Amino acid sequence: MNCLKIKDLTVTVNNKTILDDFNLEIKSGEIHAIMGPNGTGKSTLTKVIMGDPNYKIIKGEIYFNDKKLNDLEVNERANLGIFLGMQMPMEIEGVTNADFLRTALRTKNKNFKLYSFIKELDTVVEKLKMNKDMIHRGINEGFSGGERKKNEILQMYILKPSVVMLDEIDSGLDVDSLKIVGNSVMDYYKEEKPAILLVTHYQRLLDYIKPDYVHIMNGGKIIKSGDASLVPKIEEEGYDKITETSTSVIEENK
Amino acid sequence: MNKIIIVDNEIKEKTLDKNITITTEKNILDINQIKIKVEKDADLILEYTSTEKTKLDIYINIEKDVKCNIYEIKNEGIYKLGYKYYLEENSNLNIYKINNVKEIKELLIFNLNGEKAKVNYILKTISKDEEKYDLMVYHNAKNTESNIINNGVNIKDGSIKFNVSGFTPNGIKGCTLNQNNRIINLNNNKCTIKPNLFIDENDVIANHSAHIGKCNEEEMFYLMSRGINKKEAENLIIKGFLLKGLHKNKETMENIINKYWR
Repeated sequence: MNCLKIKDLTVTVNNKTILDDFNLEIKSGEIHAIMGPNGTGKSTLTKVIMGDPNYKIIKGEIYFNDKKLNDLEVNERANLGIFLGMQMPMEIEGVTNADFLRTALRTKNKNFKLYSFIKELDTVVEKLKMNKDMIHRGINEGFSGGERKKNEILQMYILKPSVVMLDEIDSGLDVDSLKIVGNSVMDYYKEEKPAILLVTHYQRLLDYIKPDYVHIMNGGKIIKSGDASLVPKIEEEGYDKITETSTSVIEENK
Repeated sequence: MNKIIIVDNEIKEKTLDKNITITTEKNILDINQIKIKVEKDADLILEYTSTEKTKLDIYINIEKDVKCNIYEIKNEGIYKLGYKYYLEENSNLNIYKINNVKEIKELLIFNLNGEKAKVNYILKTISKDEEKYDLMVYHNAKNTESNIINNGVNIKDGSIKFNVSGFTPNGIKGCTLNQNNRIINLNNNKCTIKPNLFIDENDVIANHSAHIGKCNEEEMFYLMSRGINKKEAENLIIKGFLLKGLHKNKETMENIINKYWR
């Protein structure tokens, strides 16, 4: 059983506090969805867990099992099994997807076998209904928004992480691609039982990936948590109303 | 494929079909001049090796309606080269150039003399000492197009200067001038890029970009987030940067890259 634990985390960028005393615990086999208005720190959370050097941790700790992540390099975190499917995956000219994934796998697994890699790659490319030649093109080079997101899921499948963070993986996807991506994530979940942290704005992704917990973030912290029944309520009432109610509850409890 | 091998200041070997003519002479300063005329569509490899100091003037003339791809590779040594290109009407010249030398100074003058003449120029260099490139692109006829890409990586004692100037006089309408210059500076030596556009005509499309720096931080984060360590991520980015845009000479570049970034 793996556990990602975020304890009293405060993070700043250019002296602005983005995460404020943030707490969350995610175990293997759990799916957590984080929702909330724009600019509340959802994407920052995933990047900080991954170790993006642009963010400064002022206070608090991030643990993966008993290992403190705060001072680990990005690649060290990845090699522990943490994966971030990014909102806007980078285009890297000239570096082919195949080269990139081969290098990543070789780093992780000293017994890397090229034949198994190619075979698995073919299977996942087919599963995600991706164009076969994409694998030999530069990373995300000339890819549409949807193709980029599929490429993130392909990387997840190949790298087999035990903690999967997906930051707005539904943005840029058409209805068919959303279904493919959503179902592929769920298939991976059934196979590997990872801990999943989803950042999303919309219910439509959660029609495919069923969360056990839904958290609403505002002002750099979770202001309300619940189960999947919270999602239609958000769709119906909007964040403003939920944010207002939750803030007043917090104020009363102070 | 057509091939010319130049060692120091002399042509050592040449394999050319009848569509390419070549003449050599000396100028008043006793510098060898190599004049190449391309009369029909052709691919041409130009391979240079310098054991000491190479000083040459090279003239390349692309005739009307001709498409020519030039794959150029320079190895070792110290070079001082002057290039003059003449492009006639509706001609199309693609240059894929790899420099892996000790020291180099190049002056390149492109004359787009005929309507709809087009040049695509890609330079990839790994600089270990001083390198200076002056490029001048003259759009002398309407609807001509130039796409100039200069990419360099600095290692050891390397430093690079790119001075790129595009010229369009008044009345020469419908031209496109693109410049893209980038240096990955791995050793913190001084590098300069001067991207100039001298345009005296309104009906022109022109773009220029200049970038000097280390490997892109966001690209590094992306690669490292998949478990690749810093050094390997840097190597992948540099490899991609140096290979991007090369054509038939990609393998040559790969071999050079493997020497420095194995």
